[in-house]
Amino acid sequence: MTAVESGPAAGTQSGSHSGVGRFLGQSVKRREDARLVTGHGRYLEDVLWPDAAHVAFLRSPVARGRITTLDVSAAAALPGVRAVLTGAELNPLAKSFWQTAMGKDSPQPPRRLLAADDVRYAGEPIAMVLADSRYLAEDALELIDLDIDAQPAVVSDHRGVWGAAKDEELVHPEYGSNVASTLPYPGMPTENPALEEVLSSAAHVFEERFHQHRYICVPMETRGLQARWDPARDMLEIVSSTQNVHEVRSMVARLLGLSDLQVQARAEDVGGAFGLKCFVDKEELAVAAAAYSQQCAVAWIEDRNENLVAGGHSRTEDLTVTMATDADGKILGIKGHHVEDVGAYPTYGVGGNAGLAMMMLPGPYDVGQYFYSAEAVFSNTCGMTPYRGPFLMETVAREQLVDIAAAKLGIDPLEFRRRNMITPEQLPFSTPTGLVLETITPIETLDQAAEIIGYEDFRREQAAAREEGRILGIGFASYIEGSPAFGAAGAEQVTVRMDMAGKALVFMGSGSHGQSVETTMAQVVAEELGIDIDDVRIIQGDTTSAPYGTGTAGSRTATTFGGAARIAGQKLKEKILAVAAVALEASPDDLEVSDGVVSVKGTPGAAVTIEQVAAMAYAGHTMLPPEMEPGLEAKHRIRNPPLMFSNACHAAIVEIDRDTGAVDIKRYVVSEDCGNMINPMVVEGQITGGVVQGIGGVFYEHFVYDGDGNPLTTTFLDYLLPTAADVPDIEIGHVVTPSNTPGGFKPMGEGGAICSPPALINAVRDALAPFGGLPNVQPLTPEVVLDVIDGTAAV
Amino acid sequence: MKPAPFTYEAPTTLAEAVDVLGRYGDEAKVLAGGQSLVPVLALRLARFEALVDLNRVDELAYVREDDGAVVIGAMTRQATVEADPLVARSVPVLAEATRLIGHFQIRNRGTLGGSIAHGDPAAEYPAVVTALDATVTVAGPGGQRQIAATDLYDGPMTSTLSDDEILAAVSFPVWGPGSGFAVREMARREGDFATAGTVVGVTVADGKISRAAISLFGMGPVPLRARAAEAHLVGADASGLDLTEVGAAAVADVDPPSDVHASGRYRTRVASRLVARALESALQEANR
Ligand SMILES: Cc1cc2nc3c(=O)[nH]c(=O)nc-3n(C[C@H](O)[C@H](O)[C@H](O)COP(=O)(O)OP(=O)(O)OC[C@H]3O[C@@H](n4cnc5c(N)ncnc54)[C@H](O)[C@@H]3O)c2cc1C
Repeated sequence: MTAVESGPAAGTQSGSHSGVGRFLGQSVKRREDARLVTGHGRYLEDVLWPDAAHVAFLRSPVARGRITTLDVSAAAALPGVRAVLTGAELNPLAKSFWQTAMGKDSPQPPRRLLAADDVRYAGEPIAMVLADSRYLAEDALELIDLDIDAQPAVVSDHRGVWGAAKDEELVHPEYGSNVASTLPYPGMPTENPALEEVLSSAAHVFEERFHQHRYICVPMETRGLQARWDPARDMLEIVSSTQNVHEVRSMVARLLGLSDLQVQARAEDVGGAFGLKCFVDKEELAVAAAAYSQQCAVAWIEDRNENLVAGGHSRTEDLTVTMATDADGKILGIKGHHVEDVGAYPTYGVGGNAGLAMMMLPGPYDVGQYFYSAEAVFSNTCGMTPYRGPFLMETVAREQLVDIAAAKLGIDPLEFRRRNMITPEQLPFSTPTGLVLETITPIETLDQAAEIIGYEDFRREQAAAREEGRILGIGFASYIEGSPAFGAAGAEQVTVRMDMAGKALVFMGSGSHGQSVETTMAQVVAEELGIDIDDVRIIQGDTTSAPYGTGTAGSRTATTFGGAARIAGQKLKEKILAVAAVALEASPDDLEVSDGVVSVKGTPGAAVTIEQVAAMAYAGHTMLPPEMEPGLEAKHRIRNPPLMFSNACHAAIVEIDRDTGAVDIKRYVVSEDCGNMINPMVVEGQITGGVVQGIGGVFYEHFVYDGDGNPLTTTFLDYLLPTAADVPDIEIGHVVTPSNTPGGFKPMGEGGAICSPPALINAVRDALAPFGGLPNVQPLTPEVVLDVIDGTAAV
Repeated sequence: MKPAPFTYEAPTTLAEAVDVLGRYGDEAKVLAGGQSLVPVLALRLARFEALVDLNRVDELAYVREDDGAVVIGAMTRQATVEADPLVARSVPVLAEATRLIGHFQIRNRGTLGGSIAHGDPAAEYPAVVTALDATVTVAGPGGQRQIAATDLYDGPMTSTLSDDEILAAVSFPVWGPGSGFAVREMARREGDFATAGTVVGVTVADGKISRAAISLFGMGPVPLRARAAEAHLVGADASGLDLTEVGAAAVADVDPPSDVHASGRYRTRVASRLVARALESALQEANR
């Protein structure tokens, strides 16, 4: 990773938002790393209760069918097996089954913990064995007598073949249709007549259908949960690998008809999640239900095979984009039609991402007239779950069409983008979907990316290489990252508590799973309080200590928790000054805090340490004025806008092996503007990780079903993740334009994954331009590429 | 992903290992580096009453010269093969192929014998032994016997060893002066099993090719020899060959499998080009 800082606003953060301080804006080393990279991380597996029964799920071997035999008696009789539960025992325990963020009444498929009577996707849990060890539990699985009368499955994405599932067979007969949801929502206009007018009269209209195949989260630590029902304490205690402990508590309490007070949930270190662990799915709930019904401790850690087959799937969609331009390539209107396969049981509601994709499809462009429609369909496959940049299809499709249109118009793709991007003069800019973009810098990031990668030089190099028969290409993509903070997610709290020793404990409802929250939030608080970062500790992931919150997801942590931490820190600092003012017999306005010492400005001799202030705030409360509450604690619950934005431009250079179709990524450049950076190193780490996932999605990762809904990529032998050897150095440039939220931060955690797929696909498309068009196929395997080169593509 | 129960046996000599294995017959399996066997057990794709661990049988780990051949014990780690000076000097293509096996962590555990006994049709070592006409020594209850590499495989991951036999050593004939070799493969990622690959060896004398071997891997149920293409090469002028034509001839009769990574059609096309590239490189080496 190479950081490049250039451009007028880049490099240093300064100005009214004072983005850079002793800790803020500095590449402070990650405090998590010392333990995480030396094997001292503590994951669920490391804290399993010795008396927990270990779970193995019996999972459906077929995609759809009726269960004709399910006899668990032999399994239950195996020594070491404590219980074998089926849907008949477990499902009646489920009183209520919905995700807080979706609400009680939003439509969803008929939920159940375990399959009963029929199965609806390969991998659906049918029974659960509770045994002394996972080994024994798996031995017992082999003793269960299961017969399924297989029925034709509804599968839309299989072996590279895609077609939205229709109503020949119903995935959920109770739902009455395989169409899970549609856009526009009922009652909204079904077309935009002004757009239709533009499409029929514009000089040029371009239309393409873009496909995105099924690829998935794959965290290093899989899902897992242990639960213990203790009737004596009237308490269900849970440890889960989750992004969101409060949701674990809420879901389990609702499911079992318990009160929130009867359930405690916490997380240890979480070894990655990427969206997979922001909701709570049936296996986790089944474990909690089993602990409750069996009145004991029960633990389940998903194995890799389960994680791939049944851990929740993502992407799997088509987006058709129609774009009208005038003769000079000025965009006049855009229309999108989105089709998503949400599988059988999407983890949240009906799973679709079209609602947000609709908001974001115009991206960083002034697109004129606009309309969007969508359809989400069920299939007999593993359900959809959020994956970093869940609605990224808008960027994937738009940025490809931009390149295609530019090529057809004979306009340079960068020039085409510049002509259509929202300019600084247009800010604040209201998009056709009603979003207000206030501080975006698409042209600046485009220019910076082009400069870093050396666009003009590359075009010369490419021309020369083509003469030699080498195949080189360059691709760009730009986007706006929209971070949703709807409902409670927009109102996160941070509590800063300083005990008598003058050290700050910071409590927050975040759920770091790789975002460096322990470092970045400590930077924010230490900066505000004027104490050393080592005197701050972040406490999260525990419903008994954290303020109510929605965890870490949706790129929100810096803006919501970071903003709240900043203000909570300011409030506590005021309190520190007020107490110190008593001790120093001075006015708080005349005091300053630095390096853990409060002193009278200009009179450094008149000083007390923060530790002394803290002691006085508690033990010396009799000395405080009567109206002053003793103690040193402050909290702030922020009110964030429902959507926050950052922007970036990605650029890639690829070279293709003419004989094999293998793609080598020679350079990868990102220019981003996430406002004030709390920690530039962490920003770059987030970008890099996201880009790697995009590389995986475009070139390697594909969860494949056959036409009968049987999963074919069930281990890492076939589900190919990118490795260090497949990833180039990622060069990153920063443009810094503070947002209007406290701290001037912007959301950026998902952008790497959002913008890299189209940048990479565009680079391959550019490289292959002399050979003809790229078919609507993903991933870009060597075979797909070679077929284009050899002219054998079955378009 | 937990294996079914098994008994663990850990003999310390080859004779003892053969003995223990004989007691279980087809109910036992030999454990070498475990890099292929353990995942199979963990996924419960196979189960055995006993595992006979060869990791304490020190006499099976060696590299030595013997009568014009390089003989390597079955339990020699792939990492050892990769770094061995005798291998580098006398069977350089074996070292070159080793670097294409997985990642260094896998080569630190994985063994030469394990890979060859396992017989994955997309693996490098089986293709090397097939191309070089190596000989395998196996030990069983009735003593030792030799199997020519080209007779070693029946089908995918099925060798002609019987259940009570242990692969003890592999003997690689050292090709004479004027020889050159190359291995080329296409893999989806660095370290993956090959989608398609080839091992090529040639000997050039007085400007003419006197010996040629081409094996293909990932191209059928077992590593294949491209006999027709080899015949076409022997006796031909080493310079001015139409490499593309040789590549095409090498794949003329193969019917490679299709899977999630590539179609058979792709494999055929790529293999022919890899043969051309490998041959070019082998000829260069032979002419040095
Ligand atoms: C991530 C990963 C990537 C890999 N990539 C590659 C690759 O690119 N190319 C490649 O070729 N391989 C690859 N492998 C496999 C690796 O090379 C293994 O080491 C090899 O296939 C088996 O060797 P082993 O010593 O581990 O044998 P084991 O796994 O212990 O045994 C494999 C089989 O051979 C039998 N066996 C072992 N030794 C003997 C013996 N002496 N006599 C009789 N039978 C025996 C066993 O009973 C078993 O059936 C990879 C493995 C992994 C985990």
